[in-house]
Amino acid sequence: MKIKYFAWIKDITNKEDEEINSEIIKNLDELKLFIKKKYPNLKTHLDKEILRFAVNHEYVINNIYLNAKDEIAIFPPVSGG
Amino acid sequence: MIKIQKEDFIPDKEINKIKNLYSNVGAVTSFTGYVRDINYNKKVELLNLEVYKEMAYKQFKKIISEANLRWKLIDCLIIHRYGKLYINSKIVLVSCFSEHRKDSLESCNFIMDYLKKDAPFWKNEYYKDNNEWLINSS
Repeated sequence: MKIKYFAWIKDITNKEDEEINSEIIKNLDELKLFIKKKYPNLKTHLDKEILRFAVNHEYVINNIYLNAKDEIAIFPPVSGG
Repeated sequence: MIKIQKEDFIPDKEINKIKNLYSNVGAVTSFTGYVRDINYNKKVELLNLEVYKEMAYKQFKKIISEANLRWKLIDCLIIHRYGKLYINSKIVLVSCFSEHRKDSLESCNFIMDYLKKDAPFWKNEYYKDNNEWLINSS
């Protein structure tokens, strides 16, 4: 699955996107755990629940199953308009 | 109509392009957002506006559909810019076209409220010596 990062999250991950092996990640909660381990500096933000998640361009709040072809975006609160 | 673009635009020209398609439009409400020079007492030099373009298109389509369910609208226009925007630059235009004023006034406000809260854009505000990512407060 493809993970995309936006705004200041990119400064922590040092990349805009990456492919993650979907064999080991079956749902959004597992993805969050994976990200916390891979990017310890994101842990505080994830624990405070200030980050937002979108799967295939739709906001997701609850834990949902993820598929190999999904595009998951992780981003901070928005500031458009 | 939805446009997500780097380029500047002329609000009247964009509004008239749509207005000229319909002779039953009796009301047009528009909101234009600009880059301000001072924000939270800091002197702003420019904004770098980042967008998740594919998601923004999808979300704008959804919110226009939702506005059409709530109000009697003839058409809607959203133009949102991204990239480097200097002071006085236009950031966004929302225009709602209807027969009567209440539908266009209320739907324009509704779309702007959504846009501030949920549209996937991020402002990186640049000052003389540093920069800061913003979060919308309203």
